[in-house]
Amino acid sequence: MDARRPLTGMNRRRFLRTAAGTGAALASGPAALFQNLYAFQATANLSHVEARYYRKLPDREIECQLCPRKCRLGDKERGYCGVRENDGGRYYTLVYGKACTRAVDPIEKKPFFHVLPGTAALSVATAGCNVSCKFCQNWEISQSRPEQVTHVDFPPRDVAAAAEANRCPSIAFTYSEPTVFYEYMFDTAVEAGRRGVRSLVVSGGHINPEPLEALTKVVDAIKIDLKAFTPEFYKTWVKGDLAPVLEAIKLIARRKTWLEIVYLVIPTLNDDPDDVRRMVRWILKEVGPAVPLHFTRFMPMYLVKNLPPTPISTLRALRKIALEEGLAYVYTGNIPGDEGENTWCPSCKTLLIRRNGFAIEANAIKGGMCPSCRTPVPGIWA
Amino acid sequence: MPATVVIVRGRGVRPRGGDVAAPVLGRMYERGLSLLAGQAGAAESLRTMFAPSDRIGIKINAIAGRELTTGPAVALPFARLFGRLGIADRDVVLWDRTNRELRAAGYSLNAAGSGFRVLGTDTAGLGYEDEPLAHRGIASRFSAVLTSLVTASVSFAILKDHGLAGVTAGMKNYFGAIHNPNKYHDDRCDPAVAEVFDAPPVRTRHRLTILDALVVQCHRGPSYHAAWAEPLETLVFGTDPVAVDAVGLRIVERLRKAKGLPTLEEDGRPASYIRTAEALGLGRAAEADIRVLEDDV
Repeated sequence: MDARRPLTGMNRRRFLRTAAGTGAALASGPAALFQNLYAFQATANLSHVEARYYRKLPDREIECQLCPRKCRLGDKERGYCGVRENDGGRYYTLVYGKACTRAVDPIEKKPFFHVLPGTAALSVATAGCNVSCKFCQNWEISQSRPEQVTHVDFPPRDVAAAAEANRCPSIAFTYSEPTVFYEYMFDTAVEAGRRGVRSLVVSGGHINPEPLEALTKVVDAIKIDLKAFTPEFYKTWVKGDLAPVLEAIKLIARRKTWLEIVYLVIPTLNDDPDDVRRMVRWILKEVGPAVPLHFTRFMPMYLVKNLPPTPISTLRALRKIALEEGLAYVYTGNIPGDEGENTWCPSCKTLLIRRNGFAIEANAIKGGMCPSCRTPVPGIWA
Repeated sequence: MPATVVIVRGRGVRPRGGDVAAPVLGRMYERGLSLLAGQAGAAESLRTMFAPSDRIGIKINAIAGRELTTGPAVALPFARLFGRLGIADRDVVLWDRTNRELRAAGYSLNAAGSGFRVLGTDTAGLGYEDEPLAHRGIASRFSAVLTSLVTASVSFAILKDHGLAGVTAGMKNYFGAIHNPNKYHDDRCDPAVAEVFDAPPVRTRHRLTILDALVVQCHRGPSYHAAWAEPLETLVFGTDPVAVDAVGLRIVERLRKAKGLPTLEEDGRPASYIRTAEALGLGRAAEADIRVLEDDV
């Protein structure tokens, strides 16, 4: 046989690219626990755990009810996410306990800026995603089927135990799209909760209300990537819909689950100040002024390599708009050392948290309040 | 000049639930390929499409299991024809996405031994290309079987109804050559089927389509349902990928009509990707542009 590559699969370029994209092989932090795992070798041991949100139809068909796509599938077919399969009229998740990436990350990398600053989050992902962003930072795993990435058995109990063992007060479901490994995420969050470890979700928000409502009861914080504020952008660049994402944000805001919103600013595609102003006004109306909003810097990636990195001036200008409109906590991201990384008291303007990249240089918040004027600062601080 | 599509029926080639009758199948290949290329026999006909230096990929569709897959009893006799062109058995690859599916369909895997290679893209050392190929609206990593192992491709596809696309036939078979077919079933797989076929790894290698219509799932496909699996005992041949699929579509529609089922259009799932493929210049879809030759053996 004409083997194209060594059977061990992963060349250095691919490893570095993947590791860079997923934050794996963390050089600093409590423990560089794991390397990213990615190869072209198939691993046949997919899970066969029945999915929780679907309905059975005649002739062994099913309709998935986890996300707004509502994939209708015949026997042996998979959903858009690629990680759920109809087998004989029952729907199964193929990635339960099958982590393709696991790493210890600074929580600021997620980014969560109002959750346990300066701590580490044990971060876990499986293959698959229910949208197809052309600018995806982790496309190697998110746009793959589980057979196409190497994964390890990492069941919920082991995830929670690993978080404790590595002094991580939280577990983050991240990198790809946690919605598609919902059952795994849910059970891990329950297990983590028993041990006092918090659970964080980093999601695009393409999830139906019923599973989201249930999820908010077992996780502590959710970060939603709001990718634009126009349906056209979602249709063209995400292959998804804006409306269900907005509904998800509203639902989370009604619950006690902590919410942060990230907006990746892509030059010429979603950086229109008027659109951003409309978005900020919508956030103010539907969520309130206290939700942190992060404007993060785009870097050319995946299928959008023809655009430059977001100008820093653009990020600062959009942050200024959001602050002017009345949001209290607006950040810039992916600009290490920028003033917009810091947390300021919205009342007395005291500098509360000084950040530099993912590092916390100073944290003045005491008891969840500004030390100067005692204004409460919303978030999870202890 | 119209495209030519050949329909050959082999009475008794696969009695319902029975084994394939090899002599009948052999005559079907001989007749079908001869009619298609206007040559005296199958080998002469294949010689008009393939060179002795070619490495041949025969893309099977094994997703639906043993009941609805072109099994080894059907595919291997076709593969043997290439020996008459001077192509060594090891340069003929029967393949699909996964070894698991090929095994389930009855194939004995053979990635490195003598004889025909039978392997899935997930064979260690193969896999998919590192980088996605962005082409029109798709972005996929193509199977290294297609891009590295073979120089010429045959789509040997099961003809069947498809709950989303309307029908699945020769062009859609190449969804099994990309790493992310799950991303391309929106909008009845239109234009994705045409765009995947139009992508260079497929378009530059594809030479021949054979539709396995020995048993045709005319409703509730692509999975197997005995109630709508019709023993048609037919193979369809064509070098125009669009024309073959257009004819396959008509066969499925005819079977549906005979069973009192609505047309695919009425069922809300017209196979519109076929017209899209024609619009991309990949072949002919209109009935008037296709010359259909039929014969029984």
